[in-house]
Amino acid sequence: MTVAQAGTASAWTQKPNIDQWIAWWTIPVFYNIFGLIFVVLTRVMPPPRPDITQTQIVQFFVDHSLTIRIGFALLMFFIGFASVANGLIAQQMKRMSISPVFAYAYIGALVVGGLPGCLIPAFAFVAAALRPDRDPQIMVMLYDWCLLSFVGSLGCFCTQNMVLALAIFLDRNDVLPKWLAYMSIWMIVTELLASPVFVFRSGPLAWNGSISFYLGTVVFVVWEFCMIRLLYTAIKKQSPSEQIQD
Amino acid sequence: MDLRPQRISLWLVPLFGAIMAMAFVAFPGFPPPTPPSMSAVQVADFYAQHTAAIRFSMVTFNLCAIMLIPFFMTIVVQMKRMSLPSHVLAYSYLGAAATGATLFAIADIFWLIAAYRPGRDPQLILLLNDMAWLVFTAPVGAVVVMNLALGLAVYLDRRPVPVFPRWVAGFNVLTAAAMTPAVCAVIVTDGPLAWNGAVSFWLRLGAFVLYLVVMFAVVRSAISAQAREP
Amino acid sequence: MTTTSATSAPSATRHLPATKDLWVFVLGDFVIFGSYFVIFMVSRRQERDLFIESQRHLSLNIGVVNTLVLLASSWFVARAVQLTRDGEFDRARKLTVGGGLCGLVFIVIKAYEWSAKIAQGHTFPSNNFFMYYYMLTGVHLFHVAIGLVFLGVSYVELRNRRRIAPVETGATYWHMVDLLWVVIFALLYVMR
Repeated sequence: MTVAQAGTASAWTQKPNIDQWIAWWTIPVFYNIFGLIFVVLTRVMPPPRPDITQTQIVQFFVDHSLTIRIGFALLMFFIGFASVANGLIAQQMKRMSISPVFAYAYIGALVVGGLPGCLIPAFAFVAAALRPDRDPQIMVMLYDWCLLSFVGSLGCFCTQNMVLALAIFLDRNDVLPKWLAYMSIWMIVTELLASPVFVFRSGPLAWNGSISFYLGTVVFVVWEFCMIRLLYTAIKKQSPSEQIQD
Repeated sequence: MDLRPQRISLWLVPLFGAIMAMAFVAFPGFPPPTPPSMSAVQVADFYAQHTAAIRFSMVTFNLCAIMLIPFFMTIVVQMKRMSLPSHVLAYSYLGAAATGATLFAIADIFWLIAAYRPGRDPQLILLLNDMAWLVFTAPVGAVVVMNLALGLAVYLDRRPVPVFPRWVAGFNVLTAAAMTPAVCAVIVTDGPLAWNGAVSFWLRLGAFVLYLVVMFAVVRSAISAQAREP
Repeated sequence: MTTTSATSAPSATRHLPATKDLWVFVLGDFVIFGSYFVIFMVSRRQERDLFIESQRHLSLNIGVVNTLVLLASSWFVARAVQLTRDGEFDRARKLTVGGGLCGLVFIVIKAYEWSAKIAQGHTFPSNNFFMYYYMLTGVHLFHVAIGLVFLGVSYVELRNRRRIAPVETGATYWHMVDLLWVVIFALLYVMR
């Protein structure tokens, strides 16, 4: 690492851990926009019901066509920032006293999560919103595709949380507190309880169910809040001269 | 260096591999694989007849398949120990493994959408079934490139005692070769190269499973050797 | 992380067993399971007759056996903690194994019960009662599996390093799993 001559580089680039701070800032910004996209604009969170009629499904797309397209256009751009959050957490995991396998697995698992878990469902809704005059059966299929894929992408998040929990438990450097590991186990439980969405079209275990969706989302929001806070503390405590394994 | 993450990642393979083997047998569309030649009505019937088993096995695959990623990342970490000019092959392996896992996850969802709503137009079920099978079978490039990257890395490894024995290079290339013909599943709808055929289905899957078994043993030795290092 | 002396003289300060991190988990799990129970109760009120009728297909005997098995395992584990505090690591280790074996027995009985119900035609999507039955017992079973991992860690600690905190952690978690089962048993099998 070369040391810049005083005055030849802007002051802000010399701040300790500046790269991690910039990465950190993208996370709360990303999730606020995520909320705007999925809750307000595209109506995926909370999801519309699986058990409405074909006509009602088509009407849903007619009514919300514009906001769905605008919302997901935003997603097309901002989805990229998920990688930054993943990279930051992976970087912190590399500070732990263990082999970096789990840091890489974290990135790998969330690469999977970003596609069938987020972006591809968006395309299903977009296709429906773009041409709401399609055969109604096709509209229903696109509706199912988006919501099943979005709520029902399970394994990637199970693996993500499992490797995070294991890493925290084994870590002797206390980069992240043990209670976050326990919270990650809750995340796994909520994923397991989302698996029935492929079976039920109504009730608490459907894709809009109180257990499969709402409880799972509450747990996720709490977890994410904690993660953002903990990353802030971790970066703040991290000495710029700390040696991190390759 | 605490090697427990590597050991844990290693043992995830037999654990989740066994569960997935069960799901494989339970999935009515695997042994034997449903042919591309089935008509829309036949496919719709198939999903109606076997809804519970299809859902059960595909949800199991959804939950378990990504649990193999830590194992592939262990290989990445071992590749970074090799004496190579740079880590480029290790990171290529990482990217390819993530791609391969993503493709499987996408295919899995297609099967589940097809089994979700009774009374769906058979033509749509046919479409979803096609997409599931094609995405499952054909894009072998990710795994092929993984194997070639690892093969090359093992071949180039200049450590006096290589991280993986030299024969692993040849084995990886062979596995890649065995899986490559499956790309033809997007061209033909019957014969050994169709998605249910001896080459695209049995040879491809058999080669991949054998790969997991062999690499499990190889990685296990490598971790033990690493533990003995100062 | 406080350590206790190997003597059985009462310690001057009382400490909270296990770590505060685990208590976050335990309390949070109670909140989450509590939500499941509330949702179950609301559903039950709406379809009371269906729930009571379906409940008769559950074997109360198997439920009672399972409850006793888990209670026994909790007893083993609690004794193990006491013995660890007294410094008797070998006996504690054996009791931990006993607790774990009971946990395995619980899982086997549960698997048998599930297959019996499925064979009788009561599957996950059969009706709302059975949806809750499989869901609650399934989530609980996952927690039992995690509990076995905790007990495994306790076992290794007792064999090697002899720190008390992981043993207490495992025991606290295991008692939580037991307590959750008692509630589930009451809700699904007993409550009329």
